[in-house]
Amino acid sequence: MLGSRLRLWSAVVLMLAVAVVTAACGKGGDEESGGIEGDKLQIGAALSLTGSLAKEGALTKQGYQLCQQKVNDRGGVKVGDKKVKLAISYSDDKSEPDTAARLIDNFNDDGVQLILGPYGSPSTEAAAAAVERNGQVMVDSSGADDNIFTKGYKNTFAVLSPASDYVAVMVDAIMGSANPKPKTVAFLSADDGFSQTAAKGGVEAANKAGLDVIAEESFPEHTTDVSAALTKVRGDDPDLILGSVHVEEGIAIVKQSGELGVKPQGFGETVAPPTPDFSEALGDAANGVVGSTQWTAQATGQDEIFGTAQDYARDFEQRFGATAEYHSAEGAAACLALVLAVEEAGSADPEKVRTALTELDTESFFGPIKFDDTGKNVTKPMSAIQIQDGKVTTIYPKDQAQAELQWPGTGG
Amino acid sequence: MSQFLQATVYGLLEGGLLALVAIGFSLVWGVMNIVNLAQGAFVITGAYIAWKLNTELGLDPYLGMFVAAAALFVAGYVIQRLLINQIVNAPIWMTLLLTFGLDLLIVQGLQLLFTADFRAINTSWGTDGFAIGDVRVPYGRLAGFILAVAVTLALVWFMSRTRSGLAIRTTGMDRAAARLMGVNVRHTYALTFGLAAALAGMAGAILGSITTFSPSAAGGYTLQSFVIAVLGGLGNMWGALAGGILLGLVQAWGGQYLSGTLVNAIAFGVLVLVLIVRPAGLVGRPYYEARAEA
Amino acid sequence: MSATREEPSTTRVASRGGLNLTGRSPAWWLGAAALLLGLVVLVLAPTYLLLESEQRTLGSVFMFVVLAQGWNLIGGFAGYPSFGNVVFFGLGGYTTAVLMAKAGASFWITVPAAAAVGLGFAVLMGIPILRLKGHYFAIATLGVAEGMREVVINTGELTGGNKGITVPAVGSEATTSYPGNTGFYFYFLALAVISVVVVWAVARSRFGYALRAISQDEDAAAAAGINTTRTKIAAFAVSGVLTALAGAIYAFQQVTIYPERLFAVDITVLMVVMAVLGGAGTVLGPVIGAVSLQYLSEWLRDNFPDYHTFVFGGIIVLAVLVVPMGIVNFTRDAWRRKRIALFESVRQYRL
Repeated sequence: MLGSRLRLWSAVVLMLAVAVVTAACGKGGDEESGGIEGDKLQIGAALSLTGSLAKEGALTKQGYQLCQQKVNDRGGVKVGDKKVKLAISYSDDKSEPDTAARLIDNFNDDGVQLILGPYGSPSTEAAAAAVERNGQVMVDSSGADDNIFTKGYKNTFAVLSPASDYVAVMVDAIMGSANPKPKTVAFLSADDGFSQTAAKGGVEAANKAGLDVIAEESFPEHTTDVSAALTKVRGDDPDLILGSVHVEEGIAIVKQSGELGVKPQGFGETVAPPTPDFSEALGDAANGVVGSTQWTAQATGQDEIFGTAQDYARDFEQRFGATAEYHSAEGAAACLALVLAVEEAGSADPEKVRTALTELDTESFFGPIKFDDTGKNVTKPMSAIQIQDGKVTTIYPKDQAQAELQWPGTGG
Repeated sequence: MSQFLQATVYGLLEGGLLALVAIGFSLVWGVMNIVNLAQGAFVITGAYIAWKLNTELGLDPYLGMFVAAAALFVAGYVIQRLLINQIVNAPIWMTLLLTFGLDLLIVQGLQLLFTADFRAINTSWGTDGFAIGDVRVPYGRLAGFILAVAVTLALVWFMSRTRSGLAIRTTGMDRAAARLMGVNVRHTYALTFGLAAALAGMAGAILGSITTFSPSAAGGYTLQSFVIAVLGGLGNMWGALAGGILLGLVQAWGGQYLSGTLVNAIAFGVLVLVLIVRPAGLVGRPYYEARAEA
Repeated sequence: MSATREEPSTTRVASRGGLNLTGRSPAWWLGAAALLLGLVVLVLAPTYLLLESEQRTLGSVFMFVVLAQGWNLIGGFAGYPSFGNVVFFGLGGYTTAVLMAKAGASFWITVPAAAAVGLGFAVLMGIPILRLKGHYFAIATLGVAEGMREVVINTGELTGGNKGITVPAVGSEATTSYPGNTGFYFYFLALAVISVVVVWAVARSRFGYALRAISQDEDAAAAAGINTTRTKIAAFAVSGVLTALAGAIYAFQQVTIYPERLFAVDITVLMVVMAVLGGAGTVLGPVIGAVSLQYLSEWLRDNFPDYHTFVFGGIIVLAVLVVPMGIVNFTRDAWRRKRIALFESVRQYRL
C-alpha cells in the first residue's frame, strides 16, 4: 500500500504547513499605538472564567466591568486631547498559570500592551513574567503573595495589600478590642504560597501582640475536610483559631469545628468571610467569624470615577444585584489605577504609562494607591470585618468601623 | 487517646458515606467492565438537585435524595442505552474517553447553570451531634452512615432476590450465556448504570447537607471511587462498604499522625499497593472472577 | 477485539530484525521530499511568518505531539492504556526545576538528568504495574501519577510544594539564558520530530511487531517466544523518556511551576484523547490528534469564552462515537473502500 501511505504522509505534511500558514494569517497582527484602535482604548484581561478559581475570577471581572462602565459614562479616557472609550477584552485562563502567560503573549501580539491582572497569585506571577518579557504593563488586582515582588519585575503594579498583611490585620483587630483578650492561638493554613505567606505574617503579629502560638497545622488547599487539623488542636483548647485559607477551607473550618466540638472564643479567617458564599453556606454558624478584607464600603477616600466607597457599593449593587465585596473592588481599583496612569501619561504607550504608575499617588474609593519600588501598594491598610446578624460588618480600623467587635465571637 | 477515638469515629462515618459514593461505580465496573469517569459528576448533580429542592421548596435533603436518585436513574439509563452501549465492545480506552467527555459536559453544564459558587444545604440539625465522652458524633454524618449501610443491604437483597437483580448478575458473569437465556442485555446494562447513577445521586444529596460542594468537587469523588472499588473488589457490594470504611479510617488516622497534607498521598499509596499486591481486592472477592469475555 | 486497528507497515517488518530503511520505488522519495519541505516550512516559520504568541501556541502543539507519541508507544502499540503518563512529565519538569534552582545547574545538564529520571522511574514503576491488565493497569498508573504529585507537594524543602518552585531565568542568577518563545518553539519542534522518528522506527522494527503482538494477544505472543515483560518495560521506558524530556523543557519555559499543573490529570487525558482520536498505534495519528485538538481548543476558547469546555466535552463524546478508531484509520478505510461510513464503528462495537 505504498501509494496510500505516500498520500497520507503528504497529506499530513500539507496539513501542518497549512496550519502554520493559517495561524500566521489568522491573527493579522495589527500594531496600533499601544492599544488605541480608533476611538477605543484596548485593555486585556486574562481571567479564570472556568476552573477551580472561576468564582473569584467572576467577581474580579465584575469589578473590571463596573470600571469600564463608569469610565465610559463620564465620556471615556482622556488620552492627550481626545477622549477614547475604554474597552476591556477578556480571555479565559481556566485557572491555569501557564495558560495565563500564553494569553498575555496573545494580547501582546494583538498590540494590546496594557493588562489587568488575572485572579490569584500563581496566575499573576506567571503573567508578570510574560509582561516583563514583552514590555507590557500590568496592574495586579488579586495576586497578593509577596514573592511576586521579589523577582525584580518593573512592569507589574499591585493595588492590593500584600499577603503578609492578611492575617496580621485580624490579630491587630482582635487584640485591640477583644475583652477578654485571647491568650492562645492556633493557626490552620492551606498549603499554597499565598496562605503560607499570610500565616507567617500572622504568626509574627501574634508573637508581637503577646499571643501564645500553640499550634500551626497545614492541610491541602481546596480541601473540604479539615477534621484532622481540628482534632489535633482540640485538645489544646485554643482561645483563637486563625485560618489562612480560601473559601472552601474557610467554610470547612467553621462547619467541622461545630461537628467536632472545637469551641474557641472566636475564629478569624482570610478570604472566605467577606464572600456571600460563606454566610449562605454556614447560615447562623457564620455569625461572629472575623475576616480580613482588602476593602470595605467604609473605606476612606474618593476619586473622580467611582466617588466614595459608599458610592461604589451602591453602583455595584445596582448593576449586579449583590452586595459589593472586596474581590470586585480590587478589580475596579486596578482598572482605576491604569486609567489614571494613562490619563497622566497622556498616551497609551507602555513606557509612559509605566512611568506614570510609578509616580501615582492618589486616594480612591479603594483607599490610597501609591506603589513602592517593587510595585507593591504600601500605603493602603487592610480592614477587618465580622459577620454580625448575617451581615458583613466592618470592625477595624476603628475610625472606619460600623460596629464594635463582638467577643467572644462564635459564642464559644 | 481521645484524639485517636475521635479520628476513628469520624473516619468511620466518613467512610460509610464514601462507600455510598463508590458502590455504584464498583457495580458498573464489576458487571460491565466499564470505568465511569463521570461518577463524581453524578454525585455533584445529586447534590445540586437536593440543594435546589431545598432552596426552592424547603425540601429536606433526606427526602430530596429520592428525587435526586430518581432523576439520575433516568439519566443514567438513557446515557447507557443511547451512548455507552454503542461502544461496549471497543478497546477499553473508548469507554474511558466517552465517560470523560460526559464528565466534562456534566461538570461544565452544572457550572453554567449554577455558577462556581460554593453551596451547602442547611439543615435544622446543622452540625449538632451527641457526645460519648470526649468523642463527638455529628447527627448528619451518622445518618449518612446508617443510610449507606441500609442501601448496601437493600442492594444485596435486590441483586439476589429480584429478577432484575439476578439478570444483572448473570449478565455480569457471562453476557453471551445470559442472552441465550433470554435476558435483554441492552436493557440490563442500562438498568445497572441507571442504578449506579441513582446511588451516586443519593450520596450527593446527603453530602450536600454535610459538606460544601461546587462543580469542581466532582473529580475528587471519582478518584476516591476508584480507590474504594479496587479495595473492595469490583462488583462486590459489601466490599465497597468495607473498602469505603477502610479508606475513611486510613485517611483519618493518617491525617492525625502524619502531616495533614499527606492525606491524599495516603489514599493513592493504598490504591497502588493494593493493585500490585492483590488486584482482586483486599476485603472481598470480585463477583466475577471468571469472566467470559474480558 | 482490537483487530480493527490496521497498520500498513505491518507488512514491512524486516526478516532480519532490523530497521527497514530502504525505499521501494521513486514514490517513496516524493513522500520524503514532501516531508522535508514541510520541515523547512516549520523551521523558517518563526522568522518569517509567525507572531510570538503563535510560536508559543505551536510550541505547545509540538509538546503535545511528544506527549501523545509517548503515550502511543505504551497505549497504542502495546495496548496498555496508561492514564498516568503525566507522572513522567512532572518528574522530568521537577528534575529540571530543582537542579536549576537548587544546584544552579545549566538547563542542558538537566536534560539528560530528566531523561534518566524518566527512564528509571518507568522501569521501577513498570516492573510491578505492567503485570496488570486493562482497567487495572490504567487505574494503577493514575494512582501512581496522583501519588507522585502528592509526594512532590509534601517534599516542600526540595520542591517548594504547593508554593511552587522558580527556575532562575532572569538577571545575574540565570544559569542559562532564557530562549524566549522562538527558542522554545525550536526545542519543542526538535523533540517532536525526534518522537515521531522514534515511533516510526519502532513501528517498522521487530520491537514494534512484538508490541503489536502483545496488544493483540499477550499469551500467544509469549508462546511465540517474545519476552513480553522486557518488551513492555522497554516501551514504557521509551515513553517515559520522551515524556520526561517534554516536561523538562516545559518547566524551563514556565519558569515557575506548581505540582498541580505539572501532574495535572487533564494533561494525561488530553494526550490520550489526541493519540486515540488521531489514531492509536499509528505513526501519524498522535501528530494529527495533537495539532487538531490544540487548534480546536484555541478556536473554541476564542469563540465560546464562557462555555468552551462544555463544547469540548460534547465534541469528545461525539468523536468517540464517530471515529473511535482514530482519524488516520478512518481516513485510510474510507480511502480504500471509497466510501465514508460514519457510524461503521458503532455497528462494530455496539452491544
